[in-house]
Amino acid sequence: MGEVSRRAFLASGSAGAVAIAGVASGGLGAIGLVAGEEGELTPAEIDAVAAPMMLHVRDAAAGEVEILFEDQSLVVTDKTLVAKVLRATR
Amino acid sequence: MSSHREAPSIAKDPVADSTDAYAFVTPNSPGTVTIIANYLPAELPAGGPNFYEFGDDVLYEINIDNDRDGLAEITYQFTFTNAITNTTTFLYNTGPILSLDSPNWNRRQTYTVTRVDHRTGASSLVASGLTCPPCFVGRRSTPDYDSLAAAAVHSLPGGVQVFAGQRADAFFVDLGSIFDLGALRPFQSAHAVPIPLPGISNEGVDTLRHSNVHTIAIQVPIGSLTSDGTVPSDPMSAVSVLGIWTAASRQKGSVLDGQGGHTEAGPWVQVSRLGNPLFNEVIVAMDHKDHWNAVTPDQDSQFAQYVAQPELAKLLPVLYPNVFPNLKAYTKDRADLLAILLTGIPAGIVPGFQNSTGSVQADMLRLNVAIPPTSNPNRLGLVGGDAAGFPNGRRLMDDVVTIELRAIAGLTIPLVDPSFTPDAAASAIEDGTFNPTERIQLDAFPFIGPPHSGYRVPA
Repeated sequence: MGEVSRRAFLASGSAGAVAIAGVASGGLGAIGLVAGEEGELTPAEIDAVAAPMMLHVRDAAAGEVEILFEDQSLVVTDKTLVAKVLRATR
Repeated sequence: MSSHREAPSIAKDPVADSTDAYAFVTPNSPGTVTIIANYLPAELPAGGPNFYEFGDDVLYEINIDNDRDGLAEITYQFTFTNAITNTTTFLYNTGPILSLDSPNWNRRQTYTVTRVDHRTGASSLVASGLTCPPCFVGRRSTPDYDSLAAAAVHSLPGGVQVFAGQRADAFFVDLGSIFDLGALRPFQSAHAVPIPLPGISNEGVDTLRHSNVHTIAIQVPIGSLTSDGTVPSDPMSAVSVLGIWTAASRQKGSVLDGQGGHTEAGPWVQVSRLGNPLFNEVIVAMDHKDHWNAVTPDQDSQFAQYVAQPELAKLLPVLYPNVFPNLKAYTKDRADLLAILLTGIPAGIVPGFQNSTGSVQADMLRLNVAIPPTSNPNRLGLVGGDAAGFPNGRRLMDDVVTIELRAIAGLTIPLVDPSFTPDAAASAIEDGTFNPTERIQLDAFPFIGPPHSGYRVPA
């Protein structure tokens, strides 16, 4: 498996939702993917992530992912990311 | 119970479970308001070796609405940090704890207080590193508990006092009887389901008599809570009424790491709240209780149906046949309860008194700070002619179970519908429990009494 396989997956039984728990670098990698930026993270980007990060696929059909970090959340829409995540669980 | 384990989800999360909220003009400092937020229901005092503590992953809040919208304008936030002094022992303490910096005390908590002004968005650190007292382990471990608790009362800038730690639960109720098909022991001979009476006492059994809780208490100058910064003296002024409720929140995401640790991330999500006692407990239907805990009071119109046609008012005539004929025949919406619990009592109902917060339906304690404390309180509060008591805020000695039972039984309907005559039983109904004085200290903040000792209870 690729990058996402190194993360822990917590699959819920409802509505096809999948929650992903990631450590700092994994979470940041996901955000980079969501943002559509290419390439590996720079050391400075990795260092900038001090706290854990979690991703929650809120709506697989719509490609909605909620990113939980620090005491905030951010909802992004990325059907490619959601497809990659869901297929990784199979 | 008032709100002990009152909803399915929060019953599984005791450290975040709001059990009671109290708010009153401070008896020995009438220029201030004291607000008490209790959590951790039904603590067994002998709870060692892991004695009770606040959650270090929970955000505790005391909210004040001063502009009648059911939303907080001011919030005091409390977060806790654990520290272990000796990592080589399983013990809570390795000798007598004689002071809050005792090396014998192995697991301790400190906390941070933050004040949020929602009008400006400003979040101000009030204080950090504040010490909690230990739990009352017993006379060997905590030989002078009152001194430890007194040392944990912190005076902060701006005339604020705070305390956070274990106390005796001041709430009293015959839980075992009430939730056994609504039986009230003093009147059980009239119950629809008779049980053999010989040997069965008609006295109420106070379920919480030996239980502790964890208390957050704060005493704040009135002028720092009102919308215009004044200390109102006119009870009929809208400025004089504060809406008050407590809450607890957890972060949206939590992951167990499989090594005994856990990680949280994301915004805080409310998992518990408390305004009027017993609101979620005996009014909101089971299927909506968890949702009620998750929303803010400004959204409470969705629960108004349960207040307008309370299930308990329908059950009383069934459980006590022929005792409540007038209540049974009353089919109108309960405008009295809608006012008492959701909007406050408007002017013109009780002479010289009001605690209205306008038309927004919101479950909050409503405290008219222009009503001075009384030296001769009546446990029935406003129903007993004492405007300084519930439902004008809530004092520790207020018998809210009796007050609300009588209100639901119809005693307060004539306030809004003079054509109704309450059943005789409405003014007599009670569960037979009485507030024991040892669970309240009348002369000093935090006013709620010292916890029961693990060594002595149950005694």
